[in-house]
Amino acid sequence: MKKRGKGIACMFYPIGFTSYPNPGSAFVKVNQDGTAVVFTGATDMGQGSTTVLAQIAAEELGIRYEHITMVTGDTEKTPFDLGSVASRVTYIVGNAVKRAAHEAKRILLEVAAEKLGVSPDGLCAGDGRIYIKGLPERFLEISEVARIAQMGKGRPPIGSGSFNPITTFLDPETGHGKPYGAYVFATQIAEVEVDTETGVVEVLRIAAAHDCGKAINPMLVEGQVEGGISMGVGYGLFEEMVLDNGVVKNPQFTDYILPTSLDMPEIRVGIIERPEPTGPFGAKGIGEPSLLPTAPAIINAIYDAVGVRIRELPATPEKILKALRETDQGKA
Amino acid sequence: MKRAIILVVNGTEHSVEVQPSDLLVDVLRDRLRLTGTKKGCGTGECGACTVLLDGKPVNSCLLLAIRCEGRQITTIEGLGTPDSLHVLQKAFIDNGAVQCGFCAPGMLLSAKALLDENPAPSEMDIRQALAGNICRCTGYVKIVKAVSSAARTMSGAEGGGR
Repeated sequence: MKKRGKGIACMFYPIGFTSYPNPGSAFVKVNQDGTAVVFTGATDMGQGSTTVLAQIAAEELGIRYEHITMVTGDTEKTPFDLGSVASRVTYIVGNAVKRAAHEAKRILLEVAAEKLGVSPDGLCAGDGRIYIKGLPERFLEISEVARIAQMGKGRPPIGSGSFNPITTFLDPETGHGKPYGAYVFATQIAEVEVDTETGVVEVLRIAAAHDCGKAINPMLVEGQVEGGISMGVGYGLFEEMVLDNGVVKNPQFTDYILPTSLDMPEIRVGIIERPEPTGPFGAKGIGEPSLLPTAPAIINAIYDAVGVRIRELPATPEKILKALRETDQGKA
Repeated sequence: MKRAIILVVNGTEHSVEVQPSDLLVDVLRDRLRLTGTKKGCGTGECGACTVLLDGKPVNSCLLLAIRCEGRQITTIEGLGTPDSLHVLQKAFIDNGAVQCGFCAPGMLLSAKALLDENPAPSEMDIRQALAGNICRCTGYVKIVKAVSSAARTMSGAEGGGR
């Protein structure tokens, strides 16, 4: 018989390293043609950090995204970043890029202020222009300001920035402290169908609500959550490294089973944008948190469907059948 | 013992000397420098090395190059170019279907084989067609969406797609 059930799991997760320094850094230069280049050690593995960091630079500089060139992940040319780990790049390197862009913009604003006869604080940057706040028709093109700054004033519009979250070590006695700069929160709900004769679990649907602060790029956030859910489905139901005296016994995809397109449930992603005051434009992170609630939600859904608690992952058909039989014997 | 054979890749004839044991994926990547085709597991499980052989998707890591003489081989380089993307490639970009990108060449060719045979696939048809291509990044959601959107574009602009 096939039985359906629903399960919920919630989580919180920190952004960045626990207590230890984990800085990111960036250089920014604005060119005379109104384009800008960002140099950062941040490495894009496909999660989209290069896109997000370019968006942050574009927003801060008031230069179109298409006019930002990114130079990333090259230790010869770019300043230090600790790495694409700990769900930290948007929050930490994003702040570094924003600071570097702000420093370069400051030079542009000071030079433009002299031309426009106002104070630098009375100016904004946007759409490739520097204009008087509230009077967008009084503007200078950023390309022109960059040229004047560089060739007229001898002040090339460049900036550097770094960011390291303010943290403390944990008190060894009490465990108290502030080990992270920001935290994210999420809830996922899974609906499963369990075949009581075979023990096979099919995940039908997963709804995922994730707080990531301001979603700088909602499509990339969705992509991270959907990918995380697929890892969570694998972690919950299929993936198990079998070791025998340290030797991996299933080193192939035929016996270490990853989810395929046929194993994936219908997924609905909800992005909860609760701005983080210390994040770049309110952003936090989304990488690792995306997969955390998936397996527990599935395990809870299995319990809801057939009343057995699987306490060791993955929840293979063998484990579920064994648990079902033990429950039956307990009743008999 | 090496033998000279002619491989027809993306419509171009290439004369290469191969050992009888040389795999198609290695000849494509190392001899013809068509490195868009990826070699993942090397044992026909992950689908990263998918190319089209006479229009059908195959794992090029399981095929001897010598067996492909005189047959039509399509690799990702033959699908589109940066200046002139295939409808599927554009749909992958627009839908955010590429993350690390390692599975993308194989995914695209499996998808092309599907759409060549079935221009109006259901979501299940698409999932079936891509089941031999493993993706660790995306959860397949946006890939399935991209293929479905490309199918609609191609049927809407008959003959307009490449």
